[in-house]
Amino acid sequence: MNRLSRIAPLILTLAVLATVPALSPAASKNDGRPDGGSLAYGEYGRPATLDPITSNEMISLRITELVFNGLVGIDEKQVIIPELAERWEVSKDGRTYTFFLRKDVRWHPREGEGPKPFTAEDVLFTYNIMMHPKTITPLKVRYEFIEKVEKVDDATVRFTLKRPILNALAKFTFKVIPAHGPANSQFLTREDPFVRSPIGTGPYTVKGITADREIVLMANEDYFKGRPHINKFVSRPFADQNIMTQAMMFNAIDMLVLVNPRDLPELQGDKRFVLQPYNALSYAFFGYNLRNPLLADKRVRRAFTHAVNRQEMLDSFFNGQGTIISGPFAPGSWAYNLDVQPLPHDPAKAVALLKEAGFSAGPDGMMQKDGKPLALSLKVPIEKESEAVKRVVLAFQNYLKAVGVTVKVEFKEWQAWKDAVFVEHDFDVILASWVFDDSADISSLFHSAEIGGWKNNFGGYSNPEVDGLIVESKLTLDHEKRRTINRKLHALLAEEAPYTFLWTLTNYSGYHKKLRRVAIHPYKFFSFADEWFIPVTEQK
Amino acid sequence: MAARELALTALLLVGVSLVVFVILHLSPGDPFSVLLEGQGSGHAVSTSVREALGVPTTWYGRYLAWLGNMAHGNLGTSIRTGVPVASEIARAGPSTLYLTLGSLLVTLLLAVPVALYSTSRTAGALARALTLAVYLVSAVPVFWLGYVVIYLVIHRFGVFPLLSASAEPARHGWLYGLLPIVVLGVANGTVSEVTRHLRGEIGRVLTEDYIRTARAKGAPVWRHAFKEGFLLPMTEMIAAKIPFVIGGAIIVEQVFNWPGLGRMAWQAAQDRDFPVILGIALVAAAFVRLASLLRSVIYAGVNPRTATE
Repeated sequence: MNRLSRIAPLILTLAVLATVPALSPAASKNDGRPDGGSLAYGEYGRPATLDPITSNEMISLRITELVFNGLVGIDEKQVIIPELAERWEVSKDGRTYTFFLRKDVRWHPREGEGPKPFTAEDVLFTYNIMMHPKTITPLKVRYEFIEKVEKVDDATVRFTLKRPILNALAKFTFKVIPAHGPANSQFLTREDPFVRSPIGTGPYTVKGITADREIVLMANEDYFKGRPHINKFVSRPFADQNIMTQAMMFNAIDMLVLVNPRDLPELQGDKRFVLQPYNALSYAFFGYNLRNPLLADKRVRRAFTHAVNRQEMLDSFFNGQGTIISGPFAPGSWAYNLDVQPLPHDPAKAVALLKEAGFSAGPDGMMQKDGKPLALSLKVPIEKESEAVKRVVLAFQNYLKAVGVTVKVEFKEWQAWKDAVFVEHDFDVILASWVFDDSADISSLFHSAEIGGWKNNFGGYSNPEVDGLIVESKLTLDHEKRRTINRKLHALLAEEAPYTFLWTLTNYSGYHKKLRRVAIHPYKFFSFADEWFIPVTEQK
Repeated sequence: MAARELALTALLLVGVSLVVFVILHLSPGDPFSVLLEGQGSGHAVSTSVREALGVPTTWYGRYLAWLGNMAHGNLGTSIRTGVPVASEIARAGPSTLYLTLGSLLVTLLLAVPVALYSTSRTAGALARALTLAVYLVSAVPVFWLGYVVIYLVIHRFGVFPLLSASAEPARHGWLYGLLPIVVLGVANGTVSEVTRHLRGEIGRVLTEDYIRTARAKGAPVWRHAFKEGFLLPMTEMIAAKIPFVIGGAIIVEQVFNWPGLGRMAWQAAQDRDFPVILGIALVAAAFVRLASLLRSVIYAGVNPRTATE
């Protein structure tokens, strides 16, 4: 399915506003687990850049997770933990955040140079380069809430916020880059050599890129949390997803970040491998263009949702690896309202709703109003892995035909599809999916201010009640209150059905069982990779 | 003469670049949007990106800027990766050259014997069967054959046919490199045409008067027929089929994970990364042009009359 943009700023599940004591550093992890071995993992495609500022796709994001650190990090239970900052203080008014930095952190050394220490200068540098108008980065919009940054001393930085916001601390997970890193110290472009051979503070250093475009990462012996266990990570690019599982079956790679759902049975039956599910924070949907008067009627949209059998599609096209959803929030996030049930598959109800909306069956059995048939165009982006998508589309066509609605399907190339949907608004229905980060912010999807060219409310959905709840949710500083508002939003949007919400698929990572203690972060993936290890006997 | 050819080539390349650029401009999508993916990209943001990058706002402005750099030998940098296009092409080019020339050789190894055999006097049912086989093979889509070959190699021979620079060299590793070459050579769709053309030309030349004379006086027929009946049609076919082979290479590189220009072009086309696309289009056009120049040279060598025409 399509990964549209990651759409909203970062907000975390749990807020920990108190200070947490730092762990004492150690050169080796001293946890009794062995060092050594290497891990090659497969990626579908190649990353454009390897630095945390200019990069904006998942492949790069995963690599920066191995190479860099933030002021704070997130542990496996989604709790905020110290990273480059060993502790912090928040002022009573919630507007000043003071971070006390670790003094034992050193940047990866460049060839022929000694390692340089990490200081407050680097934090200021990162913030400034990120916000420079000539730096093109998706991060900029997320940090507009910061008014200014000051260096108190070499190991202390102070951030002042424009206004207090909920979960601000989670935003300080942004990756810090060294002041001596980029060639241009004002702003960062993709032409800067730093974006291809970055240096960071993280558990792995970028060793280089091979002729086959594999990215080789080596353990940072000097890592401040202790040397990572596995010696070497190799990111192998594949141009074709069909080949990746086979590559793992033949030990050409040890790990797949995301197993093609079709290949799950093959890996499941193989004792050499482990399949580990993780939440993807994404969902698929049919989105409606409310500019079309036929679709502006809520009863029509609800009728469509009743007409389709989502469970059947999920079971037959995706091996049942997923969950049917009822509303607009990323399933698995705290904002998702489990009390709202998905509309059941009920073709009779669908027909009744269409009749209520003024349609009647014509001589050919198809629904019509004032002699005009209920016929719609469905636009779907073409993708390489589109077999499952094609089946969903055909099934949708058949389900709607059964209740008297004609759907004309049009497959379009990705960029052409984006133009048609987001700029020209020339469509009736689309099939797509949203990928979220840890955020529960859906304002860009359903707020009426987000209607217009290139904006995410492509269907032109506008409802003052929804707008009000979205704003209220954004402004509150109380976590419980925000949860209550979001639950209301969820129920309301489920009722209004601007989309037919489909499902969230369970992501599976597949890896060789020689890898131990594998914990996976939902979308950053490698956050805990420094703890992974390979038993000595299996290191080869 | 040489100066004229050179000027023609330059003109051709400029023409190619203009056509490619206009097509890219007319196709939906924006090369700069790839930088903004992951951001609620309003139109204002995309305008600010252009400003930040100092990109001319009109399409012809952008083209002229590109052409100006080009005149100084600078192919520009990729929008997606920021890497200079020339160095990327220099790096990926040899893999593609190896793939295309190798597969052309495979095509000829298939087509030439069949053509020669079927024009010989003893040819019968076997020749017809071979010709039919060649036609069938030409109808096979290259991506399909690629998958079938990979599947067979994996499941029948139990080896994984893709190379990796970081892995330890596998036994018979060099063989893996031959697979995509054979696949592209067999299924680039030109085998049948090369066979047909060659057979037709040989057949025609063999009925010419001078061959009959040669035959009558007992001179070796092949030596007389070689230039006109074999060398000329061969060079003509090679020159004419190079564009098809390059086209097939894009698909084969995709299927076999071959790190060449084809994969670069594929990615660049998806991103509308125009400096990369233009760079590759120019190299491909220059390659095709070079082949046709070579053909002229060989023609002139064989038949000096054509040189003065």
